[in-house]
Amino acid sequence: MTEALQFFLISWLDLKLLGLVALGTFAGIYVGAIPGLSVTMAVSILISFTFAWDVYPALCLMVGIYMGGVYGGSRTAILLNIPGAPSAIATALDGYPLAQKGQAGEAIGLSTVMSFVGGFIGIGVLAVAAPFVSEFALTFQPRDYMLLAILGILLVGSLSGESLLKGVFAGALGLLIGAVGLDPLTAEERFTFGMVELWGGISFIAVMIGLFGVSEALTQLHHIDKAAVKQTIGRIVPSWRAVGKYLPLSLQTSSIGVIIGALPGTGGDIAALMAYDHAKRVTKKPEVPFGEGAAEGLVAPETANNAAVGGAFIPMLTLGIPGDAVTAIIIGAMFIHGLNPGPMLMIEQPQMFWFITGALVLANIFMLIFGLTGIRLFTKIVEMPRAVLIPLILLLSIVGAYAVNNSITDVYWMLLFGAFGYLLKTYGYQVGPVILGVILSRLIDENWRRAIISEQEDLGRLFMGIFTSPLSLVLFGAVVFIFISQTPLWTGLRARFGTARARGDGV
Amino acid sequence: MHDPSKKMPGETAFAVVLVGLSGFLLWQAILISGFEALSSPGAFPMAAAFAMLVTSVAILIKTLRLRERMALRFFTDVAPPVILAMFAMMLGYALLLKPLGFLPTSLLFLTVSIFALRRRGLLWSFGVSLASLALVYVIFRLVFTVLMPSGVVPEGEILAWLGNLFSGGDTQ
Repeated sequence: MTEALQFFLISWLDLKLLGLVALGTFAGIYVGAIPGLSVTMAVSILISFTFAWDVYPALCLMVGIYMGGVYGGSRTAILLNIPGAPSAIATALDGYPLAQKGQAGEAIGLSTVMSFVGGFIGIGVLAVAAPFVSEFALTFQPRDYMLLAILGILLVGSLSGESLLKGVFAGALGLLIGAVGLDPLTAEERFTFGMVELWGGISFIAVMIGLFGVSEALTQLHHIDKAAVKQTIGRIVPSWRAVGKYLPLSLQTSSIGVIIGALPGTGGDIAALMAYDHAKRVTKKPEVPFGEGAAEGLVAPETANNAAVGGAFIPMLTLGIPGDAVTAIIIGAMFIHGLNPGPMLMIEQPQMFWFITGALVLANIFMLIFGLTGIRLFTKIVEMPRAVLIPLILLLSIVGAYAVNNSITDVYWMLLFGAFGYLLKTYGYQVGPVILGVILSRLIDENWRRAIISEQEDLGRLFMGIFTSPLSLVLFGAVVFIFISQTPLWTGLRARFGTARARGDGV
Repeated sequence: MHDPSKKMPGETAFAVVLVGLSGFLLWQAILISGFEALSSPGAFPMAAAFAMLVTSVAILIKTLRLRERMALRFFTDVAPPVILAMFAMMLGYALLLKPLGFLPTSLLFLTVSIFALRRRGLLWSFGVSLASLALVYVIFRLVFTVLMPSGVVPEGEILAWLGNLFSGGDTQ
């Protein structure tokens, strides 16, 4: 226990690490708050600069950016009705009406404090639950890992975009990109086209910066002439009374956030929307109707999306399976730093787990401090013209892609994926599943082969194994359910069930 | 921007390209180890490429069925000149980075792109670019210690000279 506490406090006691958490949180808040720049973009570009570092400082920066970025998205949701991140979509529903009434300061203050509360609850659950989950994960069979990873990709693909077909296509493409290079088990060449440069595979960083940095910046060029909106913001530190009043609700929505965040494939965006829905159902008499500036509608998604951060670290650290695009990028970065997220991480390197937990708590505290101060600087940065911002992002994207391997080939890959990602987005394909696919490719490949070899290459026996193990059966059922839920048969059934229930209610 | 009930310019062509890409990748995946075993190195890539082919064909059929078209044009709304030009600039940057070096290439890239996007005078663009590049340099080159090609600028010598200047002051 004292050992755990020691590791927990590393980032608190080392001035350099403390500064890096602060810097990461600060950068996360501000990048997340600039409309059009997402947390994913910030994490993907900034992480590429940390590969030459030791693992502790690199983790400090990443944790800070993630925590700050999730919160930062709420700022523009409130001020401009443009969610800075997908997890802030629900925040805009009531946050923006509040800003229109001239209560932007109060709204920002309340959302900051509530994000802090949610963040703490999420980290608390992570600290308590992760050791148990990883112990449970040791009983997982290779087939369970394979099913869980497939489930994660399918969930991201089906929930985040306009169609499951496009999501599956994107996920499969990612899996294939991850398979390029020498096969890790037999060293056979896969998709290398005889080029030695491709033996090591396509750089994960190049794919990531291309898809999230360049393609987003290119999309932003459509809005180059839109003038930045000027805002006047008054007092932002909320009153104790207001915080106390919404605390019970925030505790409920935090638990929703942690649970949704902990499911592989579902992250802060879904957690926030579900929490908003929950707040709407339990608040019988809101002072202001929902959608017109109800404080409950602001508190619920903001606690939930920050609670989901702690939740998302549970499958990430214990199973090695990311919950969304940001955690996929962090897992990729951990691989490069020689860490192997999964049940063995908790056993072999428990210090890493407690270190990350400590850094998360610290980032949460910095988020509160930076969130409640520096509002003047904030408005200045948000008003920065896009004509300056976009060339800078593109420059940093190139530098980031180049810096990891000092290779210009990586820059060309990044440009290729940037252009491709731009077209994918334009035509309604999601890019999140691609990066999830790249990260999970090896895990699925290896576990599939382990599973099928242990069943002596017999598919019948593999399915027998799935149907006789409760865990495998649940996971398999979930995968099948996602497919069925997208077919006309299911929509028809649901419509019929829905009308029958409505009729029943009427009686 | 994308509305699934209407067809965008270039959407059908893109769907066709994706079907072609998936077919090509499936063929390449089959070439890895054929159908020798379920655990062969080619099995998983084949499954992934097959999933791509099936979904891309389904997407193409759906796209072909769309009757309504969006009132947009490819070269004004999907790939307008500004996006094509910025992309070309990035390609140029990648080509010049090694021979010319990080500092001159970046300054050129920033000045030209900011000038083209903002249209507020060349001198203003140059000034803003110089200031931003200085910030990027301090943060990434000096704090993050990222190595970039120095090219024609004797960056290493300048840094060493500056370093000597300060350490020299300390020792004397």
